[in-house]
Amino acid sequence: MKAFRRSRHQFVAVFEPAEAGTLSQLASQIIALLDEPAARAADPAMMRLLPDAYPDDTEASEEFRRFTADDLAGRKASNARRMIADLARAAAAASPTAVKVDAQAAQAWIRALTDIRLTIAVRLGIETDDGPGSDDAAPLDPVLHDLYDWLGFVQGSLVDCLDH
Amino acid sequence: MTDVLEATELVESTALDSPWVTIVWNDPVNLMNYVAYVFRSYFGFSRAEAERRMLQVHNDGRAVVATGSREEMERHVEAMHDFGLWATLTKANA
Repeated sequence: MKAFRRSRHQFVAVFEPAEAGTLSQLASQIIALLDEPAARAADPAMMRLLPDAYPDDTEASEEFRRFTADDLAGRKASNARRMIADLARAAAAASPTAVKVDAQAAQAWIRALTDIRLTIAVRLGIETDDGPGSDDAAPLDPVLHDLYDWLGFVQGSLVDCLDH
Repeated sequence: MTDVLEATELVESTALDSPWVTIVWNDPVNLMNYVAYVFRSYFGFSRAEAERRMLQVHNDGRAVVATGSREEMERHVEAMHDFGLWATLTKANA
């Protein structure tokens, strides 16, 4: 993968077909969780994607969730769908392919990449900066941890483009 | 009796109108450049101010990023959850 760089009014990164495919699959998995209220309630990662708004008030948090969770989950799923659509050509290609993301899509991408990273972090048990799965400790699942780091690289490069 | 009840309600509504704050909490996942970018692009902070509050989150574990009515703070918290930041609201001085 070649990191995102700015090209006039859009952002361009080069993805290997397998990388684009993996990212699409992760986005699909997030959508499946977000689209299903029962799955949302049962999955600890969803508590991180749709966290309590009132730390000391369970009732107010429940009410906030009742009024916002469906819309939030819908927007998160639509961000992930946008990323899948942008990756489709690169995922189906036979060789590394440039993926072009416009300013509006970039907003969907940074959010979707965050949601995927948050979900993987919960699976890896990354709870604190120094906790298990952090760079200083032996990773619980080396393959998933590498993927998590790679997603951070993809997102970081896009944020750098947006921020300059 | 009626007068007493009305007086009580008045006191309560004044208490409810006191400001609320939006707090963003540190988490081990979100990248520092991402948090600073969110603060700058969403709240309109200058680059230096966004950086300062991001470092406050990173070093102190939390930072207040907005103050205002409960409704406004709920909107900010929802927007932060859109970005995947861990945000809550609480009464100021609580």
